[in-house]
Amino acid sequence: MPHQCVRCGKFYVDGSIDIVKGCECGAKLFFFVKQEHLDEMKNVSYKLTKKEKKQIESDVYDIIGIERKKDRPVVLDLESIRVLKPGKYELDLINLFKDRPLIYKLDEGKYMIDLPESFKKALDSMDK
Amino acid sequence: MINFLSKWLNKFFNNLFKRKKKVKLGLYGPPNGGKTTLANRICQDWLGEDMGKVSEIAHETREIQIKEQITIKSKGREINFNLVDTPGIATKIDYEDFLKYMNEKDAKKRAKEATKGVIDAIKWLDDMDTVIVVLDATKDPYDQVNITIIGNLQARNIPVLLVANKIDLKKADTKKIKSAFPQYDIVGISAKFGNSMDEFYEKLLNMAG
Repeated sequence: MPHQCVRCGKFYVDGSIDIVKGCECGAKLFFFVKQEHLDEMKNVSYKLTKKEKKQIESDVYDIIGIERKKDRPVVLDLESIRVLKPGKYELDLINLFKDRPLIYKLDEGKYMIDLPESFKKALDSMDK
Repeated sequence: MINFLSKWLNKFFNNLFKRKKKVKLGLYGPPNGGKTTLANRICQDWLGEDMGKVSEIAHETREIQIKEQITIKSKGREINFNLVDTPGIATKIDYEDFLKYMNEKDAKKRAKEATKGVIDAIKWLDDMDTVIVVLDATKDPYDQVNITIIGNLQARNIPVLLVANKIDLKKADTKKIKSAFPQYDIVGISAKFGNSMDEFYEKLLNMAG
């Protein structure tokens, strides 16, 4: 499955082990891209400046509310949130309401960040 | 004997102070429908204080707000709940929509926070016992956001009260909302001016009481 580095825009067509290691630019944040949207995404990301890409990366970390961790790649489900430019967001509510994790599992249990679960934990700790 | 007495006392006090599950009443809907205005109205009516800041600029509420221990009474009945005001749910958030009111940097920040707010609002949904969906009665109810929210609440078996807000405005059309969602209990109110709030509280008690 294709992935795109949020910082530099590089595409990883087969979503291989490179994702687990992180992008060659050093970033660990990726968009998951559906095969059928690949060409469209290549055009969109091409138009963004380096500064805009960096801003998107930083904004996305803030939005999903997780800390950057050096050894942990994060993959965002592009079907749920689409960042067109800094400050321009499209949300697919149907997917978001499905309670699907925004971040996908990459390797057997190792790098998965289950966002609904983290939200649940946050709620539980608030209840206590 | 001392051991037995100590266990009994422990159990007695544990039961006495056992926390009852808090009923959570959530306010959901698209941005600028009047969720926070309604939250303020409820809090003013029963606690004598406001809950949050309201604004003509969309996405003013970007974080979940909770007001605890509100008791509503009507005709000898009462309910006690925690009121949860949520950020407006939208499919598109564009900083350019805010540029009329603020500079680009602040507009982008607002868009980012509003996006996070939508995700938070959806994540909180499973925690709600009852939901009030606040719709702007001057706007077309056949909207993807409204249909998605209401459909999801139904799928999760969460009781819903639909509020057609802003009935003080000429363009308001409660009937249109009723015909869009005929299977729901709908109450037309003006949260800003307090119109039909008695009917609102009665319907709320019928549903959640």
